[in-house]
Amino acid sequence: MPQDMPPVGGYEPIQYKRNLPARGFRPAYYLLAVAGIMTYGFYKYGKGVRELNELGREKMWSRIHLIPALQAEEDRDQVRRMLADKARERELLGAETKVYHSDRFVRPTFAVVPENTTD
Amino acid sequence: MAARAARFNQQVLIDTTPLPDSIPKVKEIGATSAPLLSAAFFIGARCKPYNDDYMMCKTEANGRGELECMKEGRRVTRCAASVIADVNTHCLSEFRKHWMCLENWNQQLWQCRRFERDLNKCVFENLKLEKVIPGAPADEIPVHLRKRQIYAHSYANM
Repeated sequence: MPQDMPPVGGYEPIQYKRNLPARGFRPAYYLLAVAGIMTYGFYKYGKGVRELNELGREKMWSRIHLIPALQAEEDRDQVRRMLADKARERELLGAETKVYHSDRFVRPTFAVVPENTTD
Repeated sequence: MAARAARFNQQVLIDTTPLPDSIPKVKEIGATSAPLLSAAFFIGARCKPYNDDYMMCKTEANGRGELECMKEGRRVTRCAASVIADVNTHCLSEFRKHWMCLENWNQQLWQCRRFERDLNKCVFENLKLEKVIPGAPADEIPVHLRKRQIYAHSYANM
């Protein structure tokens, strides 16, 4: 009785490896592409920061140029109020009174209500 | 306390007494923020000596000096008012366009470069005042002269 033997030339090799096609590019290309995008992004970001710095400088200097004019106007108004207040006080009390035992200027806390006001 | 109605009476307490005659009168500038911002660099260009003088006076008075620096303050105000008056006489339409643009664009200077370019050109030709930003890097184009404003929202104003 003939025995069950392998076929002549042996069995065919068994396919145990998966045979899937590799999709897309090689990983190194993806790495390069991402690095490129990041570099571009940081470059644009840096440009934006530089531009913002310059815009900030422009805004600061526009204000610096205006500060003296605004401050002068405000100071004149303060002086006007203070002199009016003193004049009113002199009129009411007859003499200038010193509240503090010092010649130092102290910003007045209270003011006499003026006679002529808006509305 | 919460049941008590709020009563504001500050607005009737504004003193209208003018300055005494011993102090020389000066007409205030009377411009709002947008025209002032639009003309800021021209004010700075013409009035720098007066501004520096005034600020030095204030610094030497330890930041007060309301009375001591009145003379310098009057000079500052007259100079700034003269700039505004000159811009108004020579470049009224450009000036108006620029500050109205600033008014509409939240007073962001980079949104209104088109009008600013016209205004700067007109002011330089007529008044010889140039906008210069001190301390800007020398090897770059100054930010107000750049063709492309990367933060501007509107191409129409760029």
